Amino acid sequence: MTKRGCGSPEHTLHRRLFLQGGMAATASSVASFSGLFSIPAFAANAKASGKKVILLWLCGAPSQFETWDPKSGTETGGPFRSIPTALPGVHVSELMPRCATIMDKLAVIRSMKTGPSEHFQGIDALTRGDTPRPPFTRPILGSVIAEQLGDLDSPVPQFVLLDPCPEGNEFKSFKAGNWAGWLGAEYGPIRAGGDYSIPNLDKLETISDLDHEDRETLRQFLSRKYENDRRSEAAASYNAAFNRVRGLMSCAPLFDLEQLPKADRERYGRGAFSQHALQARHLIENGSTFVMVANGMPWDNHVFQHEMHQMLVPELDNVLYQLVTDLKDRDMLDDTLVIAMGEFGRTPWLNEARGRDHYPNAWSLAMAGGGIRGGVVHGATDSLGVEVVDGVADHRNLFSTIFSALGIDPHHEYELPGLPTFHRVEGKAVAIKELLV
Amino acid sequence: MMSFGFTRLIQRSALRDYLEFMLLVAFVLWVTLSVDAVDAQEVAQEVAQDVAQDAAQAILADSTGSAGQEVTDAVNLWVKQGYLNYETAVATRCSDEAFVRRIHLDLIGRTPTPTESLDWMQSDRDRDKLIDSLISQEGFVQNFADFYDSLLMGRTAEGTYEQRKQHQWRAYLEGMVRENRPWTEVVEEILLARPLSEEQKGAVWFLYERNNDHQKIAESIAPAIFGLRIECAQCHDHMMVDEIKQSHYWGLVAFFNRSKNEKSEGVLRVSESAVGGFSEFADIEGSSTPNYLTFLDTEVVPEERPEKSDKQEDSDGLYLTSERPQVGRVPKFSRREKFVQEVLRDHPRLALAFTNRIWAILMGRGIVHPFDEMDSMHEPSHPELLDWLSKDTKAHQFDLRRLVRGLVRSEAYQKSSVRPKGAEDPATFAWYIERPLTGEQLARSTMQVLHGRGDAEAVGIFRQQFPEVLPRDYVTTVKKALFLTNSDDFDRLIQSSTAPDDLVPRLISSGSRKDQIDQLFQTVFARTPDAGEREAIGDYLDNRRDDPTQAMQQVVWSMLTSAEFRFNH
Repeated sequence: MTKRGCGSPEHTLHRRLFLQGGMAATASSVASFSGLFSIPAFAANAKASGKKVILLWLCGAPSQFETWDPKSGTETGGPFRSIPTALPGVHVSELMPRCATIMDKLAVIRSMKTGPSEHFQGIDALTRGDTPRPPFTRPILGSVIAEQLGDLDSPVPQFVLLDPCPEGNEFKSFKAGNWAGWLGAEYGPIRAGGDYSIPNLDKLETISDLDHEDRETLRQFLSRKYENDRRSEAAASYNAAFNRVRGLMSCAPLFDLEQLPKADRERYGRGAFSQHALQARHLIENGSTFVMVANGMPWDNHVFQHEMHQMLVPELDNVLYQLVTDLKDRDMLDDTLVIAMGEFGRTPWLNEARGRDHYPNAWSLAMAGGGIRGGVVHGATDSLGVEVVDGVADHRNLFSTIFSALGIDPHHEYELPGLPTFHRVEGKAVAIKELLV
Repeated sequence: MMSFGFTRLIQRSALRDYLEFMLLVAFVLWVTLSVDAVDAQEVAQEVAQDVAQDAAQAILADSTGSAGQEVTDAVNLWVKQGYLNYETAVATRCSDEAFVRRIHLDLIGRTPTPTESLDWMQSDRDRDKLIDSLISQEGFVQNFADFYDSLLMGRTAEGTYEQRKQHQWRAYLEGMVRENRPWTEVVEEILLARPLSEEQKGAVWFLYERNNDHQKIAESIAPAIFGLRIECAQCHDHMMVDEIKQSHYWGLVAFFNRSKNEKSEGVLRVSESAVGGFSEFADIEGSSTPNYLTFLDTEVVPEERPEKSDKQEDSDGLYLTSERPQVGRVPKFSRREKFVQEVLRDHPRLALAFTNRIWAILMGRGIVHPFDEMDSMHEPSHPELLDWLSKDTKAHQFDLRRLVRGLVRSEAYQKSSVRPKGAEDPATFAWYIERPLTGEQLARSTMQVLHGRGDAEAVGIFRQQFPEVLPRDYVTTVKKALFLTNSDDFDRLIQSSTAPDDLVPRLISSGSRKDQIDQLFQTVFARTPDAGEREAIGDYLDNRRDDPTQAMQQVVWSMLTSAEFRFNH
């Protein structure tokens, strides 16, 4: 092991000065220099609301019949009963007994009608809020909210994706894509989760703190020049990843599941999805702005729908119950929006493999807290759940509602020099008023 | 013979001049008239299109040479025409410094040594000569074997990489590239998996590694060989791509579902049964369909199908026996054989998928993008060009070197990677699309820089950390940054740069500060530093005189981890 010989404060100070001075002197020849030490600016009003979001991303798409919009006793209803809830006259599937007791805190939309019926396209629409317009990439919900409400000074990552499963069919390829889009790579998520914890968080023994910092400064000096010369998104993403290294190293314990209280871990349940929902709460409490919890693509039950949902829904029921109750107990629910949804719903009818297939025409999702009114069930489907008969809403209305609840202007026009005109939500789509506090 | 070749040369270059001229006419017409007349623009584009059509026929009629000049002509023609159609700004030609690094990476899979780049810069800087020299090097074989391995087999754990080597798969791929073997022969060998010679032994591994998972086999054949993703069609006809049916998915599976891995006395064999493999699949409406032997537009291959209640008897009479232990006994009616003969052979998608993939490797994205989703949902950006190139590829027995040479000599390949204002759509190929180095390229380049040799030592480490090959979007996760910042594996490569000829000692013992920095930049970035870079690094090194070795290691780290090194540009 080699340590650097001279570590006197004077020397350090001198070196720091020279590094800055040396670089300032080169500013005229290196266009990118001015951005070297500055932290990306963020709007002054950004932190005003202090709101946070946890998105339980139910990838693969859960069935509305076995969750929020049961049709028990009908030909489409499946084998499970419906049960009454804390809201008089409102029933949910018997697979959700815990959530039934807190329906006064939840808001459910039963009238989602969206376009895309394939996973990749559905995920795109429901996480970005619109269908694609290549070659432009709309930022994902978490990136928009991290940009609007996040504190980029914080060493704690503002947008975190917890997903222990590196696989997941279309979701796998979606995950490999560009999440932050035109907002820029610094608003992309930090990805962590489960056994796929974050390796290499500890500094090497072969290098001093000072060298660690200095060589990164040099790296940025060289690397930013390349990025700026080429207006390169790939290089921007590359440099943004390095920007996060030091912050992440300083908050490494936040990503260690083992450090969470054992009782909490038991209460949330042993599954990866449950554990990560708990970790999401922990991250939000410690300064993250948007945490997205996923677990591959387990909800795509084309085969043995009922058996699969019988395993998956009770876990969701417990997780959502624990999360909302915890946030309420900690007086955080008013500022923390919890969303549980997938990319579409599932067919009223069964296929031959006793699965339900993709169905974007009439499906449900749930939210709680963070500017959303509890105890509201918005919209309705017909008696068999085939069509929406009241309060139809699409992904644009949903995004408008989410942004409005968080105090973000949904119709804001992006300032994107050289790009076509884009808005946070296109087509002036309106928010669902009855869901807003 | 001489005079014939000479005449052809004249004709061809005259043809080129004519085409250039006509395109220029069309372009001038377009520019002059476009100010106020949209119609005139359209006229100009039509002229350009007509010219291109004529030109295409002329080039194709004459595309007999092996040097690939016709390929270059075709690319130049249609890509240029595309600039008009797409109305895009176009980058300038790249500098020689940029070219020398780029072409080494794309052809031999590593950055040039300082000697290689400087020698060329100080010579006549003939790009064509450099291309020819690199194409004939062993590095070309390794680089393309790396690509083929990833595209045919996918990334895997190091233990499986070891098996690929041990069972001659790697050697088989290298042989294919080294001897420029036709892709059509290779795919027939790997799908039949009955090697006729010792050299073909590794061909078995393509099926063998899938370990009797016949769906996995089907799902890898479709993209790698037909340029299509069919996973969606497992449960239903593709919802957005009409030509991909559920029957194709299960048909492709059926061609391989009588295959079984066998291993005796160290010999691997993928045997095939003469019976079984009949089943039905359910679509989303709930009706059942038998898994007939069919794929895409090929007619169903006729096969006796027993009643559901009947059990087929297997017997020796249904087989022929081969002498070769790697083949074993072979059914008289072999589904794999049928697939090769009736579906694979002469399938037009083979040439389309092959051409589009090689294009994607060299040009940064496919003419159809993504390169392995060549379906009706993904239109080619330059349909005539893709059509022409794939016909030419087929006409020249899938000559990889001819295609590669033709593409990298094109104007589009040799554009600057600095995207000009007014150029937004990468599908225009109006600039050289930067691309991340593959794990193998990063490993070989890092070793070249630190230890002066582009060998495979660090390949295992890097391909696990940087598994992406031709990614759709390239997004760097913080894990990669943490690996480069804090991992022992990467640190060790730098710390061990201690032999007298290794980079760090070589720099420290070399003359002036300026010499040191110039050598450093030539070795890592294959270019000379600018004044600002020289000053910043000079200041840092001056200030760290207390430990020159450590100081130099930090500087080397900062360069190896910079975006300029990470990407090919």
